[in-house]
Amino acid sequence: MSEVSRRDIIRGGALGAAAFAATQAVASPLDGTRILPAHLDAGRFAAAVKELRAIVGNEWVFADPASTLPYNKSFTPDPRGEHIPSGAVAPASVEQIQAILKVANTYKLPLWTVSTGKNMGYGCATPASTGQMILDLKRMNRIIEIDAELGTALVEPGVTYQDLHDYIAEHNLPYWIDVPTVGPIVSPLGNTLERGVGYTPYGDHFFMQCGMEVVLADGTIVRTGMGSTKNPSAWQAFKWGYGPYIDGIFTQSNFGVVTKLGFWLMPKPPAFKPFMVRHSEMADVSKIVDAMRPFRMNNLIPNVVLMMGAAYQLAMFHRRAEIWDKPESVPDDVIRDFAKKKGLGMWNTYFALYGTDEIIAAVEPIVRSAFVASGGEVLTEKEMHGNPWFEHHKNLMSGQLTLEEKGIMRWRGGGMVCFAPVAPAKGIETSQQTALAKQILGKYGLDYNVAYAIGGRELHHLIFVLYDKSDAAEEKKADDCMREMVVTFGERGWASYRTGVNTMDLVAKQYGQANRDLNARLKQALDPNHILSPGKQGIA
Amino acid sequence: MAQPVVVGRLLALSAAVVAPTVFGAAGLAAAPSRTPVQAAPARPPEKIYRSTCGYCHGAHVGPIIRGRSLPPEFVSQMVRTGPNAMPAFRPTEISDAELTSLAQWINKSKADPKEFGN
Repeated sequence: MSEVSRRDIIRGGALGAAAFAATQAVASPLDGTRILPAHLDAGRFAAAVKELRAIVGNEWVFADPASTLPYNKSFTPDPRGEHIPSGAVAPASVEQIQAILKVANTYKLPLWTVSTGKNMGYGCATPASTGQMILDLKRMNRIIEIDAELGTALVEPGVTYQDLHDYIAEHNLPYWIDVPTVGPIVSPLGNTLERGVGYTPYGDHFFMQCGMEVVLADGTIVRTGMGSTKNPSAWQAFKWGYGPYIDGIFTQSNFGVVTKLGFWLMPKPPAFKPFMVRHSEMADVSKIVDAMRPFRMNNLIPNVVLMMGAAYQLAMFHRRAEIWDKPESVPDDVIRDFAKKKGLGMWNTYFALYGTDEIIAAVEPIVRSAFVASGGEVLTEKEMHGNPWFEHHKNLMSGQLTLEEKGIMRWRGGGMVCFAPVAPAKGIETSQQTALAKQILGKYGLDYNVAYAIGGRELHHLIFVLYDKSDAAEEKKADDCMREMVVTFGERGWASYRTGVNTMDLVAKQYGQANRDLNARLKQALDPNHILSPGKQGIA
Repeated sequence: MAQPVVVGRLLALSAAVVAPTVFGAAGLAAAPSRTPVQAAPARPPEKIYRSTCGYCHGAHVGPIIRGRSLPPEFVSQMVRTGPNAMPAFRPTEISDAELTSLAQWINKSKADPKEFGN
C-alpha cells in the first residue's frame, strides 16, 4: 500500500483505519513456511527456544510469526528474502546473556545482536542472513554512571540519546550530547560500535569512546582500557590502557557482545553560532570541499560538517510527487528551482563555531571570507531564522534531538538504503564521486539524494537510495543499483565505511583477502561455533 | 574528589542486576540460568508520545494522528509493524501494557493545534 493511500486512511479517521487494519491482519511476511536458523530443524529450534524461555521468561522470547514481525521491519531492499530473522530473545542482564550464549553454543544457534535495532539506513534489526535469532539488548537500559566533573558516561546498550538528554537536563549538567540524525530512538552504544557520527565537535563517536565491557562467546567478560584493573579509577578517562588496544576489534564486528560503553560528553560552550553556506550549482561541490578542508584540518571549524544536497534536503519535508511526476531521475534544474523557493541552494553546507563570543568574533571573518571566495552565500540566523532546514541543522550541531531526516523515506514510498563511500577531502575527488553516483542512479531512474559529511581529512559521501518498497520491481532495482555502486566505486578506490546487511560481504571483499583472513582467524579463536552475528561486516 | 552521579533509571539498582560476575578463562562457569530482574515501570502515554511518536507525527514527517479517533487496534498494529516510512517498535521498546495505554490515549486525544503536517 502506498504512503499516500495510508495517509488517506488516517485522514479518514476511525472508519478508514478499521478497514485498513482488516486488510492487514494476515500480512505477515513470516506466514507460510516457518523461518528457521540455518542447520537447525524445527525440533532443535523448539528445544533451544524452550531453554531461552527458562532464562529470560516467556514474554521475552519471540519465536512465533506474529511476535517476530517488528524485528522484520527494514527499509533496505531485500528482494530475495535473505534477511528475515527466525525470532528474538531479549535479556535484561549480563548474566542472562552468558546463559543465552551457553544455549547458543550448545545448539549452534546464530544470534544477531542489536542495541535498539534502529540502524535505519543499514537494515534496522534485520540480520545478515535469514534464520538468525535477534539478540535484542534494548531491555538493558541503565545509565550506569555519569561523572559530572569529568563529563564521562557509562551506559548499557538499550539507553537512547533521548534517555541521555533527559538525564542531563533533569540534573542540569553542563554538557551536550552529540546525536546522529535519528537520535531519540537510537543508542549511543550501538551508534558508536557502528562508528557512526554526529554533528558537534564530538561528532566522531568512536574517537570519543572510552572503555567498554564485552561478553565473549564463551561467556568470558572482558573490560577494555583501564576497566580490567583493580578498583579502576580512570576507566572512562583514559582510552588506551596497557598493551594492545582492543576496543576497535569490537566495533563493526561480531567478536563479542558489548554490554557497557564509556564515552565523553562535550562541555556546553558559552557561545555557539550556526552557519549555512549556500551554493547554487551542482558543480560547486569541488570548491566547497577545497574551501572547507583547511578549516577542518586546523580545527577552526571544529564540528563534523554536513554538505547537504538539495534533493536530500527537499526529501525531508516534501515528496517526490510534489516536484516531479516522471519515472526517470529528477533533473537538476527541477530540483534547483524548487529548492530556491525554499531558501536552499544545490549545496547547503552547515557548520558552527563554538567557544566564547570573542573567539567566534575572531574566527568568523576568516571562514566567511574563504566561503565567499568559493562563490557561496554565508548565512546565519539573522537571514535564516525560521527556515526549517536551517533550524534542523542548528539543532543537530548543538546536540538537540530530531527525527526530521526520517522524512526522506517518504520520498518514493518507504524504501531507503545508504551507500557510504569514503573519499579524501579533495575537491576533484568529490566532483568525480558526484558524477559517478548520478550516472549510476540515473541508469535506474533513482534520484541523487545525498549529503557529504566532512571529517578532518576525509568525507563520507552519504548516498541514500530512496525507492518504493511496496513495489517489488523497484525494490529489485534499488538492490541492483546499490550493488553496482558498491562495485564501481570500489574499483575507483572509494570503498564504504559502513554498509547495509544486504551488501556486507560485497564490501568486505573490497578490503582484501588478507584482511578477511585475519578477521576469520580472530573469529575462529573467539567464537569457534560462529554463534555471534555471522556475516556481520562479511565475517562468517 | 567529587562523587560520580550514579543513576538508577528504568531498572532498579539491585545488587543482582548491577554487579556483573566476571568469569575467568574457564568460560561458561556457573552462569545463573535466571537472574531476578525488576520489571520496568510503565511510562505514561503522554511521555511515550512526546519522546517517540511526536518527533514525526504532527512534526511534518508522519501524518497527524491525534484528534482523529483512530481505533486503538489500528494504532497498535502500526506501532508493531511499522508500515511504509515508519519504523516498527518492539515490546522491548514499548511494552504491550504501554502500547495498550498509548493506543487508547491516541484514540481519545484531541487535536493539538501546535502540531502541523497532514
